[in-house]
Amino acid sequence: MGLIARAAEAAGIATVSIVGLREIAERVRPPRTVHLKWPFGHPLGEPGNAAQQLSVIHYALEKLYTAEEPGLIFEPDWRWRRERYALPEGWDF
Amino acid sequence: MSDFDGLRQNLSRMFGQVLSHVPALAQTWGRTFESVISEEVPFTRLQKPLREVRIALATTGGVHLRSQTPFDMADSRGDATFRSIPSATPREDLMITHDYYDHTNADRDLNLLFPLEHLRDLVAAGHIGSLGTCYGFMGHIEPPHLEALINETAPEAARLMREEGVDALLLTPG
Repeated sequence: MGLIARAAEAAGIATVSIVGLREIAERVRPPRTVHLKWPFGHPLGEPGNAAQQLSVIHYALEKLYTAEEPGLIFEPDWRWRRERYALPEGWDF
Repeated sequence: MSDFDGLRQNLSRMFGQVLSHVPALAQTWGRTFESVISEEVPFTRLQKPLREVRIALATTGGVHLRSQTPFDMADSRGDATFRSIPSATPREDLMITHDYYDHTNADRDLNLLFPLEHLRDLVAAGHIGSLGTCYGFMGHIEPPHLEALINETAPEAARLMREEGVDALLLTPG
């Protein structure tokens, strides 16, 4: 996936990649990465949890504006469950 | 398919399932990439506010339209091709073909992996400018298909995005 991000970025498209394995991101080095150590097959969270899914999308899109250099890996340190997610507000990046 | 190919395919499927549950093995798998990646990381700064940005979505989770040819599960080295998914595609027209991770929950709620509906809502609310055509790939790609992805299909998808005026891309794994 990081390889697709790199191809898009090289073509002039700003990318942010969500990954479950930090080690792969460290090797492939996508331009901007959000690492969430959650079960595979659930990059944005649990089924039916729109607040969790949108929180990840919000966090990732913000990185399109705040990442200052290529190859950074961001970790919100959110737990898989036992985390209270609210619908994110403030999309004015 | 020869007996050998069948065996290789079954082993590869098992490997994918094991990877899903044993991250240490997946870390080792990550080293496969080392030889094909350049040091330099490309970087493009987004020059407009999100409310004006045209965004696209790409996943390596094997998402495609039911009407499209599924990803090739018979080749244990993966499938480097991609499927274009129009931004207005209804949820019921989409499916996942990918034997190398457990997509039971993604089948129930595709938004946890391919958040097309969330992005459409964000566009409708005026938070994001517009949504471009989205792209389904398959992860778990090994040589020689890895080279095809790097040199052919990923740049082709990027070219299509540029042609369509896409500014930003959100990527999710399977």
